[in-house]
Amino acid sequence: MTNESRPQQAEVAALLGVIERMAADLALAEEPARFITALEMGRPLAASTAGDADR
Amino acid sequence: MIGWTIEALAAAIRAGQISPVEATREALARIERLDGELRAFICLDAARALETARRLEADQRRGAWRGPLHGVPLAFKDLCFVDGWPTSCGTRTAEYFRDEQDCTAVARLVAAGAVTLGKLNMSELAMGPFGDNAHHGHARNPWRVGHCAGGSSSGSAVAVASGLALGAIGTDTGGSIRLPAAACGIVGLKPTYGRVSRAGAMPLSWSNDHVGPMARTVRDCAVLLQVMAGPDPRDATSSPERVPDYLAALGGPAGPDLTGTRVGVAENFFFQRVDVEVAAAVRKAADVLARLGAHVDELHVPDPQTMSDVTNIVSRSESSAIHARLLHDRPHEIQPVVRARLELGLQIRAHDYLQALRLRARLTRAFVAEVFAQADVLVAPVIPEPAPPLAHATVGPVHELAERQGRFARLTRLFNGLGLPALSVPCGFSSAGLPLALQIVGRPFDEPTVLRVGDAYQRATDWHTRRPPVD
Repeated sequence: MTNESRPQQAEVAALLGVIERMAADLALAEEPARFITALEMGRPLAASTAGDADR
Repeated sequence: MIGWTIEALAAAIRAGQISPVEATREALARIERLDGELRAFICLDAARALETARRLEADQRRGAWRGPLHGVPLAFKDLCFVDGWPTSCGTRTAEYFRDEQDCTAVARLVAAGAVTLGKLNMSELAMGPFGDNAHHGHARNPWRVGHCAGGSSSGSAVAVASGLALGAIGTDTGGSIRLPAAACGIVGLKPTYGRVSRAGAMPLSWSNDHVGPMARTVRDCAVLLQVMAGPDPRDATSSPERVPDYLAALGGPAGPDLTGTRVGVAENFFFQRVDVEVAAAVRKAADVLARLGAHVDELHVPDPQTMSDVTNIVSRSESSAIHARLLHDRPHEIQPVVRARLELGLQIRAHDYLQALRLRARLTRAFVAEVFAQADVLVAPVIPEPAPPLAHATVGPVHELAERQGRFARLTRLFNGLGLPALSVPCGFSSAGLPLALQIVGRPFDEPTVLRVGDAYQRATDWHTRRPPVD
């Protein structure tokens, strides 16, 4: 193990701590594409979806 | 160029007070005079810029207007592919990135009449918040010799702040538009994820990459965003969301009025381990917003460190996959700290990457629901300290450099994971004369409100009118 790889492994372990702490509680239905849904559902009420007319 | 805004120059060209060729010549002369020191450009093509300007001038004579940027000189981060120009992405390889067509955001600006001056300096592979680059020379902070310009869109910020170009394209995966904008005293907008097409721009992390405008005023960013935004069949993640009229959202000549706008000041995380001058400037900026009629209140930001870590796991995983070939075949060509960041991504298992993506979805729902039930925009600092000396970015063991990078991007990265629009606006200067900045974050696709708050702040203050001592 090099001097540089030791702090890197510690950093990876620290970074992945969030997965250990929180991933077990995720609902089975949770999937990455729900991120896009979260953005669409969170937009201001006046905004709406449009087709190619705008571009 | 130093005295113009994009809006003013476009209007002057339309009124026949200055021609596209005159504007382009002025920008090129300024670049020739100043860029040897500033190192904003990686690639400059004066002949091509002047040829475009002459064509636009001929169009003008016969009354043919390309669009709102007719004759305005702009420049683009050197990860935007433009046919006929090499795209180094800040690496040692001149033609590191190629695509089948020009970068969509660039193509839209050019179609609207912009003159391309050249391609701009950046951190290697867009990895690094300080803007240092051993291959192309460190972009220089125009406000103070020997200090970082911020990164990774370093050249974009330096060029705009120094009046070498009136506007620029930057990209932002963890803060790379907002950090250099803050460090150099200009405005930078990371739009909502999917608002601006990423097609033709080098990917660093598909899930966290954003393309956005950089300019001296919020109004100019609105002008650029208007042209850049909208769906693109070349980018499956570009949104079909309607593109509103951003300038119309800024309000009329009656003056800035934020009556009825709810502004939340982050009470946790964002003011911890932050330089006292930065914190004071941001709180004073919030006071200005209150004087303009906004209802300003403190609010608790849910899970900022968690979201930052999740964003980092996703970015590290994706970037090491995207740039695996360079890392495998020519690791000696990559700066040590950049190589270390790529190697770190190889140690993250697919299982952890996927869990991070699932967590991101849940955290985004919670953040949007909780924060925007209480406020229309969230305000916070952008950089935790004024731009540090270059040695802070370049001298020290690799793991220490990486730690410093992580700290400098600590207040911006989570908004890439959240995909929310985030604007950096100048809000003062440190006692050493370095710019300080305010971050304004809004609901998904609510760039109109984010820009309206930023514009109101600029109309009530004069930080954006100050010029760096480069002449």
